Amino acid sequence: MINKMELKFSASLSNEILARQAVIAFISPLDPSLEEINEIKTIIAEGVSNAIIHGYELDASKDVFLKAVIDKDELELTIVDYGKGIVNLEEARMPHYTTRPDLERAGMGLTIMETLSDSFAIKTLPGMGCKLVIKKKLAKETISYGTTC
Amino acid sequence: MESKIKFTTFDQGLIIKISGELDSMKTMLYREKIHREMVRIGPRMLLFDFKDLQFIDSSGIGLILGRFNEVDKIGGLVGITGLNNYSRKIFQITGILQIIGEYQSAAQFKKEARINL
Repeated sequence: MINKMELKFSASLSNEILARQAVIAFISPLDPSLEEINEIKTIIAEGVSNAIIHGYELDASKDVFLKAVIDKDELELTIVDYGKGIVNLEEARMPHYTTRPDLERAGMGLTIMETLSDSFAIKTLPGMGCKLVIKKKLAKETISYGTTC
Repeated sequence: MESKIKFTTFDQGLIIKISGELDSMKTMLYREKIHREMVRIGPRMLLFDFKDLQFIDSSGIGLILGRFNEVDKIGGLVGITGLNNYSRKIFQITGILQIIGEYQSAAQFKKEARINL
């Protein structure tokens, strides 16, 4: 069966830990390995901090949306912001490229997310926002929930 | 584990030990603390000790690169020690280990630092 969760939170960096912990708690019945937990935490940290810092420019009155779906052995994460979007996606995806050198952003967030996930997609429109869809296979078979013996 | 930062000095050097989780929030907080400490000491040698680091993302990488640029500008030496397998993976993805050396221990770094002085 498919299991899912959704979270909406203020675009404050103090909520990044909430996003990480929520998803880790959500997948914990699947008994993920420590490495998988770390990889997923990093993917979420990169995606959520991008939404907060670049999408909303640290405006905590705005909301970030996070959805997680487990289908068999695959976790699908969707991170959405309705902030300023990415003007030049090709440039943004280049390692070490950042629009915020003032904040010492390393420009490696998208590269890290892409490397750690099995599939990674960005949809963005300038002025409209940004949607990330990340898929990651978990090594172990899922336990099925709510089935009768 | 509690996330914290600890500074230790030696000769013209500074060791920055960061434990726990180094995320965007902690990075912003620590950047201030590190800046104050670096202004006070003016180190030519800078070592990041990540023995008890459990989490790092690109914001933490940005913090390290920023300090590398500062120390590199004055001809100093920057190193990293104590990487666990996961941190090393993140460091490798970002290519940071191609510009900042990894050391077995603080002792090894200090030895190298003395040669460089």
